[in-house]
Amino acid sequence: MLTHLKRMKQGNRPFSVFSFFIIIFLFISCSNKKNSGEGKIISKNEDALNSVLLSADSLITLPFVIERVNEIKTVLQLPRPVLLCKDRLDPNQSAAQLIALNDTVFTQFLKDPFSKQPLRNEIFGVYPARQSDMGAVKQPYNLSSCFRVEMYNYALNNTSIALVDVQQQKVLHSYYLANSQPDISAYLRGLAVKIAVESPEVQQALGIKPEEKNALMASTKTSLNRSRCERSRHLCVAPTFVKGDKALWAIVDLTDHRLVGVRWTNVGNSGPAAPMMTERRLQDDKITSCYCEVEQKLNRNGWSMNYMLTSSDGLRISDVRFNNKPVLRNAKLVDWHVSYSGTDGFGYSDAVGCPYFSQAAVVAWDIPKIAELKDEKNNAIGFVLEQTYRSEGWPTPCNYNYRQRFEFYNDGKFRVACASIGRGCGNMGTYRPVFRIAFAGEQNNFYQWRNAGGTGSEAGWQQWQKEKWNEQNSLSSFTAEGYQYKISNGQAGYYIEPGRGQFKDGGRGDFSFVYVTKNIPGREEGENDLPTIGPCCNNDYHQGPEKFIEPQPDDISNSSLVVWYVAQMKNDDRKGNEYCWAENVLENGIWKTKVYPCFAGPLFVPVN
Amino acid sequence: MKDSFSCSLLCAIFCLMFLASCKEEEIEFSSNNCKANPSFIQAMGFTPRNSFFSTSDERTMGLLLLESEQPGNPKARITKSLQHPSWRRAGWLAPILLDEAGNIYTAPAPFINILDNPIANNNTIYKIDSKTGLMDEFLRLPFADSINTDNPFGIIGMIYLCETATLYVSTVAGSRRYKEKGHIYAIDVKAKKIIDEINHTDAMGMGISYVTGQRKLYFGTGRNSAIYSVNLSAKGNFSGSPVEEFTLQDMGPRGDDKVRRITTDQYGNLTVHGIEFNFNLIAPREKQETLYKFSWNADEKKWVSLK
Repeated sequence: MLTHLKRMKQGNRPFSVFSFFIIIFLFISCSNKKNSGEGKIISKNEDALNSVLLSADSLITLPFVIERVNEIKTVLQLPRPVLLCKDRLDPNQSAAQLIALNDTVFTQFLKDPFSKQPLRNEIFGVYPARQSDMGAVKQPYNLSSCFRVEMYNYALNNTSIALVDVQQQKVLHSYYLANSQPDISAYLRGLAVKIAVESPEVQQALGIKPEEKNALMASTKTSLNRSRCERSRHLCVAPTFVKGDKALWAIVDLTDHRLVGVRWTNVGNSGPAAPMMTERRLQDDKITSCYCEVEQKLNRNGWSMNYMLTSSDGLRISDVRFNNKPVLRNAKLVDWHVSYSGTDGFGYSDAVGCPYFSQAAVVAWDIPKIAELKDEKNNAIGFVLEQTYRSEGWPTPCNYNYRQRFEFYNDGKFRVACASIGRGCGNMGTYRPVFRIAFAGEQNNFYQWRNAGGTGSEAGWQQWQKEKWNEQNSLSSFTAEGYQYKISNGQAGYYIEPGRGQFKDGGRGDFSFVYVTKNIPGREEGENDLPTIGPCCNNDYHQGPEKFIEPQPDDISNSSLVVWYVAQMKNDDRKGNEYCWAENVLENGIWKTKVYPCFAGPLFVPVN
Repeated sequence: MKDSFSCSLLCAIFCLMFLASCKEEEIEFSSNNCKANPSFIQAMGFTPRNSFFSTSDERTMGLLLLESEQPGNPKARITKSLQHPSWRRAGWLAPILLDEAGNIYTAPAPFINILDNPIANNNTIYKIDSKTGLMDEFLRLPFADSINTDNPFGIIGMIYLCETATLYVSTVAGSRRYKEKGHIYAIDVKAKKIIDEINHTDAMGMGISYVTGQRKLYFGTGRNSAIYSVNLSAKGNFSGSPVEEFTLQDMGPRGDDKVRRITTDQYGNLTVHGIEFNFNLIAPREKQETLYKFSWNADEKKWVSLK
């Protein structure tokens, strides 16, 4: 950060007449300013708790949306793939629109320059030009015959503008504005309102199905200059429905034709203006209010647990039981270590967690999802609890997308997993997620499988007496079932099956470091939220958990145990081999992200 | 009662001082442009004219001295770089301020994680001596009564008032989502002493301007997009309570930017550097910065946006 001290302008100030008031003012301000106390209390916003977020895959298919998508597909096949303005235009406006579409500058973004595939473009409006529009026009014109034609590019989120003189039948000036959206047409405004009105979430919030005329779009027109979806960089608007002294904001995505979410805000005639409701605020406020500040309970398929988002340890599950028998005290994702080179130690050590007031470098992007887990024959075999974390600019370079997943099976198995979905800062990256899994019970022992040795030693489980670590590599021993470790209290326990590409989720093997430490109450070894515990770029076992082992490992027999699991996934961007990767592809004229997750994490199988 | 009496007495004394120093309000145009080059730059073999300090290199923790082929051009080739071993001592750093003797003041700021920036050090000001180039602790600001791991930040902003040799430091240490516990401290650099403070304010970027005819400290907070001002006395103390001047709300590509930094030009216009800020450790490279320019409208007595 370069710092410059700037010159200040000279100012003279009259003084004497104010001295009396200054004395009084000082008396008042003195007591206010110096009061240190407990800090200023910021009130909680209950509306955030009751807001609704919709995931992209939960959208309902409305007939008029299908019609619109079909129209888009048809237009994209045309030589000049532009959706014309659907508002009522007079003959001059229609002519201006067509003249603009023959201008090379105005139409420079109709196709992707590399793939030559069409991008979705739409004329939003054709307006009589104002004198202020004509500043850059050098040639003579008659203002009354000039029009300003505005076209939006959904894929690139930019606006092309042409100033057209219909009398002269030519474009006088044309240019484009990056990251900018023109005012939407009346047709699109109507479409946004229709999507909002037809959405069950809006109807549920209002208690009735509102009429389209009840949506306040006109009064919010000035705020439509900026898209409400600053994260997805989609074109979004926010029809509002006023009910009493409250307004329901429905954020509608006109790029994907779906409702993003709804939230109530107070309306009033006085006081500070309510902050603008956007996609990011809606998501961050909801995640924080419901999952960062409150622990949620989950009971399903014989499993019970609490879960919540932490400041820097991802989604944490706790007090996990199966058929009411304790399984885990807690489990969480402490760090992501991302190393780009083994030689110069370049990379990042990212924590994942809550969006506000946290140590997270990559923040929760959506609310935790609970979904049914199915086998290859589509039989329900359990459920999944999953959390997504994302950088704002993903999938552009040096932005990240992580997924944390807990799988719970109906037969008592469970899996602690995660994935990187790229894209990171390069194609030489190794991702090392650090899991902390604290088992229930005070009398646990930890074992490692050993195959029969060449010297005549028998195969079997060997107990770890002291805290230690081990690496999963080509020399590692596994049982016939694929188990490498076992944790048990003598009566019950779990086999630990590391990922070796067998889980059919695209994972290519964990190559994990496993550490076992003793849980000693009062010792700060991760029962509470942990800051980042390891640097980005160590290639060996120095990933952080060894700090709780060295220099003097504790005895771990018949103890309360914590298993740390650090997988290692190397990314790949080669065509057909993509791994821990993501790339943008054109679909119906807009960019969609194709993902290549690299899942890793062990399966825990009950010892019978 | 005692407090009230002390306060009255203080105010009376202050008022007398104010009357006596009335003349000092006629401030020279260049009065807050006093920075001098540290003398160690030349001693280390660098050309002062082509050199600058940086704390924003993503691969090098701490302070760096760099020499460029074209100073001011961020894309120009760096011809020389140097890091004194003590400049890494405080972890990742953020603000850099120079005083009239060429001393540098800086403070730690976590970068992506707090591995090298323990929260307990985040309220410490460091000074690099102009002659020796050695970085050492300058002053530890009072730490919040409750350190919490939710908020990894401490000192965020710094600005120096040349006339009075006062360093203004904003810190948000100890603040939580529902409890605003930040401060702006006014520090007498020569006496190495806090002379005044504003409490319960999570101030971030700051700037000083005289354009309204008054010496004022402008600042934004991590809580909203408003820009506040507070008058500064001739001694550098705060005079009165902060008032809201204008806001960045609904402006720029995000509509809810917070103030990273405020600078002024020769006409007294304010340039506000706005970023997204939510008290988390999202990498700065992911944050787009937008510059907002404001000019003082003397007729309407308010700041107006220069679009």
